[in-house]
Amino acid sequence: MTEVEIIRDRGPRNYSRRKFIKGVIAAGATVSASSYLFRGPGVLTAGQARGGVERLMTLSVNGQQRRVDVLPYETLAMTLRYKLGLTGTKLGCDRAECGACTVHIDGVSHYACSMLTHQVRGRAIRTIEGLESPDGELHPVQQAVMDEGGFQCAFCAPGFIMSMAEFTENNPGATREQCAQALSGNLCRCGDYNKILNSAERAVEYMSQRA
Amino acid sequence: MAVIRDMIPPCELFQPASIGDALNLLDQYGEDSWVLAGGLDSFDWFKDRIKRPEAIVDLGGIEELKGIRADGDGLVIGPMTSLTEVATHPDIVGRFGLLAQAAAEVATPQIRNQGTLGGNLAQDTRCWYYRGGWPCYRAGGNICYASAPKAMNAEHCVFGASRCVAVNPSDTAPAMIALDAQMVVTNAAGETVYDAEDFFIGPGIDIERMTVMEPGDLLTAIRIPGTWAGADFHFEKIRDRQSWDFSLVTVASAIRTSGGTIQDARISVNGVAPYPMRLDEAERAVIGQAASDDTGIAAGDIAIRRAQPLRHNAYKLPLMKNLVRRAVRAEV
Amino acid sequence: MAEKAIGRDIAPPDLRAKITGRARYAEDFRAEGMLFAKLLLSPMPHCRVRRIDASAALAMEGVVDILTADDPMMPEITGVAAEAALTNEPLYEGEPVLAVAAVDETTAANAIEAIRVDFEPLPFVVDPLDSLRPGGPNARLDGNIQWREGQTREIREFKWTDADFDAAGPDRLPMGEPQVEFNIGDVEDGFGDADLVLEETILHQSLSHHPMEPRSVMAYWQNGKLYLHTSTQSTARTHASLANRLGMDQSDVVLVTEYCGGGFGSKISGAPINDVAAIMSRKTGRPVMLRITRYEENSIGRARPGFQAFAKMGFRNDGRVTAIDLYIVQDAGSYGSSGDFNTAGSVATLNYQPDHMRFRAVSVYTNTPPRSAQRAPGGAQIVAMLEPIMDKAARELGIDRLAIRRLNAPGEDAWLGPNRGTLTSCFAREALDIGAEVFGWEERSRLSGTRRGTKAIGVGIGVSPFVGGSRGMDGLLVIRPDGKLYIHQGIGNLGTHSIADTGRAAADVLDMDWNDCEVVWGDTSRNLPWSSSQSGSQTTHAHTRANHAAALDAKAKLQEIAASVLGGSPDAYDCGDGRVFQASNPGRGMSFADAAQRAIDMGGRYSGHELPEDLNPMTVASANNLAGEGLIGVARDNYGGEGGVWSWVMGFAQVEVDVETGKIDITEYTGVTDCGTVLHPRSLAAQIHGGAVQGFGQARSQKWVFDPQWGVAFAKRFYTARPPGILDVPLRMDWAAVDLPDPQTPVGAKGIGEPPIGAGAAAVASAVADALGGQCLCRTPLTTDVVLAALTGTEQPYRPLETHV
Repeated sequence: MTEVEIIRDRGPRNYSRRKFIKGVIAAGATVSASSYLFRGPGVLTAGQARGGVERLMTLSVNGQQRRVDVLPYETLAMTLRYKLGLTGTKLGCDRAECGACTVHIDGVSHYACSMLTHQVRGRAIRTIEGLESPDGELHPVQQAVMDEGGFQCAFCAPGFIMSMAEFTENNPGATREQCAQALSGNLCRCGDYNKILNSAERAVEYMSQRA
Repeated sequence: MAVIRDMIPPCELFQPASIGDALNLLDQYGEDSWVLAGGLDSFDWFKDRIKRPEAIVDLGGIEELKGIRADGDGLVIGPMTSLTEVATHPDIVGRFGLLAQAAAEVATPQIRNQGTLGGNLAQDTRCWYYRGGWPCYRAGGNICYASAPKAMNAEHCVFGASRCVAVNPSDTAPAMIALDAQMVVTNAAGETVYDAEDFFIGPGIDIERMTVMEPGDLLTAIRIPGTWAGADFHFEKIRDRQSWDFSLVTVASAIRTSGGTIQDARISVNGVAPYPMRLDEAERAVIGQAASDDTGIAAGDIAIRRAQPLRHNAYKLPLMKNLVRRAVRAEV
Repeated sequence: MAEKAIGRDIAPPDLRAKITGRARYAEDFRAEGMLFAKLLLSPMPHCRVRRIDASAALAMEGVVDILTADDPMMPEITGVAAEAALTNEPLYEGEPVLAVAAVDETTAANAIEAIRVDFEPLPFVVDPLDSLRPGGPNARLDGNIQWREGQTREIREFKWTDADFDAAGPDRLPMGEPQVEFNIGDVEDGFGDADLVLEETILHQSLSHHPMEPRSVMAYWQNGKLYLHTSTQSTARTHASLANRLGMDQSDVVLVTEYCGGGFGSKISGAPINDVAAIMSRKTGRPVMLRITRYEENSIGRARPGFQAFAKMGFRNDGRVTAIDLYIVQDAGSYGSSGDFNTAGSVATLNYQPDHMRFRAVSVYTNTPPRSAQRAPGGAQIVAMLEPIMDKAARELGIDRLAIRRLNAPGEDAWLGPNRGTLTSCFAREALDIGAEVFGWEERSRLSGTRRGTKAIGVGIGVSPFVGGSRGMDGLLVIRPDGKLYIHQGIGNLGTHSIADTGRAAADVLDMDWNDCEVVWGDTSRNLPWSSSQSGSQTTHAHTRANHAAALDAKAKLQEIAASVLGGSPDAYDCGDGRVFQASNPGRGMSFADAAQRAIDMGGRYSGHELPEDLNPMTVASANNLAGEGLIGVARDNYGGEGGVWSWVMGFAQVEVDVETGKIDITEYTGVTDCGTVLHPRSLAAQIHGGAVQGFGQARSQKWVFDPQWGVAFAKRFYTARPPGILDVPLRMDWAAVDLPDPQTPVGAKGIGEPPIGAGAAAVASAVADALGGQCLCRTPLTTDVVLAALTGTEQPYRPLETHV
């Protein structure tokens, strides 16, 4: 069992090299680090390498410009959930495996758990909260899900719906099989795939009516 | 066995806009730097806190590393081109369908949207001992856990073991070999071009790396020559789930036939060795033969001739044999 | 007349929130000053904590506190093999040892890394058979089984002899002294009567539940009360168990669990890990979020126990089962006392109604994560194990595989278990007949063994029964002066839609439009009644009954109020469309809104100020809070009944197995159920299909892998554990229901969460064996490696009884 101990003892290799001064940014309209997740490390000052990313950034989320303080190693899912309050984006695995965190970046589906927020600076982010129209009208995909009776536990639903929205917006007349391929990056542990595909087919139909 | 999962340890992030800036950063930070392409392999390492770079160099902002363009009768693909683009680009679909298919079978749509061709080629092995943070040879230790007498190694190698028995998991790598692709690797000292076959290395050469690339190196271009454009291609990836799964065995082949006779052939497999293998002997055996099931069977037999299965993976032999057989025979 | 709510497709009331991202699951809550907790997990399968050095961690800026198993604030968890949230003697790799709270999660993670724990390795075992060997290791210091005799429960060391192992040889199940045994008739007589006897060694894997939502928890304290947000299947029962674990009065705990991202048996009542957030919050005086990661979920998140088994079955020439001899070695994991093995024995009796049976079993602790119920615990395993043997018998006897199942299927006189318990209803044969029709068995079975290119086609059937009901729960309704019916549900919102669907019983009794009904659920401060746990498919049965009873109570009160105001006898009044009116003169009546106001004015039992005496205290407390707010309908389900409540799903599958690669495609699936009256067709279809998908994972892909030398788990990622994705299931699945009411329950509905999984697993296992020309591999999962080895005659990757591979 000694090897096991050795592994445990692999301490932080470079951690001590960094010098962090802890504190909290106070910044007017900015969603600051006083949000939940990354309060501790605070502002990088003396130890910060030249040329590293600027923490203070503007994110375009669901059509709104949001100023936010983002650590260099922060994932988009964490920024959305813990700094912008957009908890519809779910963390099911945090490893790009389950799809519950699927969001659109410039109209393309990505796993928000597996990209750094700094990678999407200047790009248009759409989350499940941004699908409904401002007057509360459901997106055709959401309406289709509603009309098919939806999901079971629905923890996967926001991710599935985002994948379905991207696909149906870009693939009019798609078949059930094509929908299945498009949704193959999302996992549903209730196993509700048949109903999900029924919803997807209906969504294709609604999208064509909207067009 | 990492202690902490799912919180990336503090580090610095750089987003250079040019290859030159990226190389400077890699030079500056040396072994403490980490090249970030799509990130889908990288984030696992970071979240497990097994790899702890000081400086992450994100290549996403370097436009010259993206895109697909014609190069004579071949193509040059930027390594930061997304797998989705590789899978759907008309030139690749039309002329090098093997690569398009390989890219299309990677993981999931979201991963293909973000994952890059370069990242897919350069990804690390999925050996679960190594990935779990066990101090094995590949991790700088002095033991291979996966080849121990009771080890769980159904997904490990049957060829090319040299202390380490991990396999290369890339779907696009065997397609590169079958297409005679070349990899352009750049560092502060300049540019080196490798044949795909030589780009991937086994543990006998360097047990801690999957490719020739060392710290400070960047993959800057992937060249696909026109040699195999429009050939008969066969790509088949066998896995237990039809999405988000690594291959048990994958075959990628390019064959030219005339009047039912094989004129020339490239056959490559992955999932069976620490590197994607080119099956030269099987290729030689099929050239001049009919593209038939019998030829396929003979080629399959040759392909697995020197295989050395581990305790749990003897099934990879018939699987590899049959995939080679299917690649060679014209139908299917 | 309002349209009946029962039997229609109505979108659940929480659906809009779920599809817009507004539904809040446990990790979606925030509280001012919230800390983040992070766990330190055991790196070894069995060890003892000798020393913890947290000084460096606690000195880190932003680190607030540490919680260990020794903390005096941690509740004392008593009971045999009971599981505390934190331990100084981890019994499996990944078991939580301590937790740290910090101002943010990165700091908490850094702190965990800075803690040094000195672990003393202890003997461990991951294969039950290794533990049964003479001198073999025990998973626990005090033994390897939980002995039960009368009221006695104790851990004992239990070993077989060398002779037991020698007699079996390496690849057959040794059958030493069993821990439990029952006999029906005389099994040897039964084999004497048989024309065909089949004997198999069978391996069924353990497998994780993998709910999409990890069991994250957020807790805070206010005015002496604990407020806890967590992911759990049940509401009332979790509330009770949480209070009980923490030694608190139920009224001092507020549990918020409006949504649960899947449980499948792994989150029936409060998870032990909830204690960490609750106590850390009490200790620090601040809200605490414990975000459970997928890795942690796969450590602490439960699994179905695997079996190593021997089955011998005797058949008459016509296919009738004469005898079953079953021996199960269950992997009990590290804690508790999973009863899967016993249930498996009972399900075998029910499924095949044998005149003679011997059942023997032993349940052995291992140093692997804790087991718990998983949809059809014991049932899903045994049908996946035995149904392929039925196929083999049919093939050898030259009879149709549907016919052999019809012949053996239980009917009106169905019985189960050693005590020959009876059932409330059983329409198993009817379900088989409908299934044969919908699936097209006659035509499809002709495809059996045919080829499509390199693909061999196989078809299979899985007969899968499981329990589907319980009795004696409470219903609590309020008709408020707004005229609406508020259906209070103490049941959890685990994704089955039963929070709404069981309420339909009340709407229909009162003949109310479903649009005028509101479901109240998911927060114990909202006055919820006592309920069954959301497990064992009890809810549909238990709570259609409870809501029916409460609605009858409300209806009687409406009639009495109307009679007192408008004259005549209460029986002369009827309810409909939100009014109570004279049956002979419908124009003469009053609205529910007015009646509700009258009820408030009249007080007493009408307004909930007087309550029936047989209610559970939780219901009483809730009704007391609601008293005076409207007309209260409240009652305990006293309908009674004789016998067990069981439902069925008959699974019919078609597969294609590529004979050159071992790749399996499931191309067709039909599930047909007997679950009594259909409450909600689309939701029922979702249960049948969703359960089948989980069954496909069980039969074909889902792994649970341990390195036997180190005792460490590997299949902790989705890609290594391999639950099915959308491309691993048929593109379209079919279903049907017998839809005959259970005569012993007023609405006629039985639960249906459990049986679908066994049906899916058994049908696929049976179809794969069919595609392999009748070769029963007698193991799950039927992964590509196993199937291809069989097809090509290559050495199997694993020995027949090699487990956790």
